[in-house]
Amino acid sequence: MSNFEQTASASEFDHVGITDTSPPADRWVPGIGKRGLWLLSWLAPVVLIIVWEIAAKAGWVSPQVLPAPSKVLNTAIKLATTGTLLHDLRVSLLRAAAGFVLGGSIGFTLGVLVGFSRIAEAAIDRSIQMIRAIPFLALLPLVIVWLGVGEAQKIFLVALGVTFPIYINTTLGIRQVDPKLIELGRVQGIGPFELIRRIVLPGALPSILTGVRYALATAWLALVVAETIGAESGIGFLAMDAREFLRTDVIVLTIAIYALIGVAADVIARFLEGRLLAWHPNYGGSR
Amino acid sequence: MIPLVSAPPSSPAISSAIDLPAVVVSNLRRAYGDRVVIQNLNLRIERGEFVVLLGESGCGKTTLLRALAGLDPTQGGRIVAPRRPAVVFQEHRLLPWDNLWRNVSLGLTAPNAQALAAAALAEVGLGERVGDWPRNLSGGQAQRVALARALVQEPQLLLLDEPFAALDALTRIRMHVLVRELVARHRPGVLLVTHDVDEAIALADRILVMRQGAIAFEHRAHTAGSAISRGDLLAELGVASHAAA
Repeated sequence: MSNFEQTASASEFDHVGITDTSPPADRWVPGIGKRGLWLLSWLAPVVLIIVWEIAAKAGWVSPQVLPAPSKVLNTAIKLATTGTLLHDLRVSLLRAAAGFVLGGSIGFTLGVLVGFSRIAEAAIDRSIQMIRAIPFLALLPLVIVWLGVGEAQKIFLVALGVTFPIYINTTLGIRQVDPKLIELGRVQGIGPFELIRRIVLPGALPSILTGVRYALATAWLALVVAETIGAESGIGFLAMDAREFLRTDVIVLTIAIYALIGVAADVIARFLEGRLLAWHPNYGGSR
Repeated sequence: MIPLVSAPPSSPAISSAIDLPAVVVSNLRRAYGDRVVIQNLNLRIERGEFVVLLGESGCGKTTLLRALAGLDPTQGGRIVAPRRPAVVFQEHRLLPWDNLWRNVSLGLTAPNAQALAAAALAEVGLGERVGDWPRNLSGGQAQRVALARALVQEPQLLLLDEPFAALDALTRIRMHVLVRELVARHRPGVLLVTHDVDEAIALADRILVMRQGAIAFEHRAHTAGSAISRGDLLAELGVASHAAA
């Protein structure tokens, strides 16, 4: 037993040796430390907003062109308390979620099929690649002819934008699973279902989650476009409605909301990666 | 008297199962297209017997091991093994997304799989790390987990494909000791494929040297006065060494 412990400690020592020699090739580091660098990274955006505020308040920029940040914040509070902002936000999020689930399931199912089966690949991959070559927003007029300008059109457009990144990254992930691990599964005598569950899907997961991140971005893009046409509620409707009345403050607010939602989606995706890929040296935290 | 005579038919089968060899290979043939890699090969490994297969690169030894593991199709001959063999590869092949006990229990269907895996890990000296992750292991530790994963299947034939080749010299010697202990306890038949003559001498009950797809030399280690020198083995492998002179 004791010689095993020796191996363990020897290897830990090795490991320490490796990490000691591996700080990244340092760029110029001023003597302000990590915290200082973090503060510095926030300096530019904060200064920009202050300058914007001063410029607007001093009347150098017309409020018709760009209202002051404080005015936008006021509008946000007013709309949230007395107006329909929260309702519109909920409607938009629901549309995005519905489209994401729909497009995500289609993309994932097709991706798994094509990833596993040469026959499925021969049968459907080319068609999917051809449709993918179309910028999906170019399909908008056609989608409106098919589905009108109701909820179906919006959800369809989001689903369309989500399907392809999920599909591509699922197929890619499955193909990149180490064949040696699949061979191991055969040696250990596990069946095809267990092979998929224990080896193929976990191996494909990093790639699939990359697809999810891309898909979240396209989902928002699709939603913005879909909601600017014939919507009666939603963030995009709020923006178009505000344009009619030259309410620049509301327009800027909707843009800020889209940005915040985008950031939130990215945080969620990163959180998922951190949790599901804890084992992965490139994603997981310290364990 | 009568019931004794008509003993249940299963009992002789059980007693003979104990004596059954771990694997019998007869007239095995394996070819890639026109290139014949293994020709007319016969091999029998008893349970508890440690057979080491030496040979130059490309002599067909890994091909033989893969055929025994059922990983590649053969083109003739018979391989008779009582159960699916377990394999340890040169790389540990641990699933990076599963902790150690889940790795070891891969393929186990018993309801107490976790306990079996933990016991197997304890046997290779990693009993306290059942919940740890493969990436926190050294090369030698990872290979010990791979051994545990093979042995927890209670194989009658254990195939080792150069499992210690990537380890440093000291770790390799510790692994030799461990493998001998484990084989003595579990008594599977073992076929170890290696390039390492010293490893063969240290571990083998029987050393086989393979040349051009056939077994060209055989040496039993534990018969009387049978010490084989390193130089003799190297000569069999076609390496002229000073030790042999």
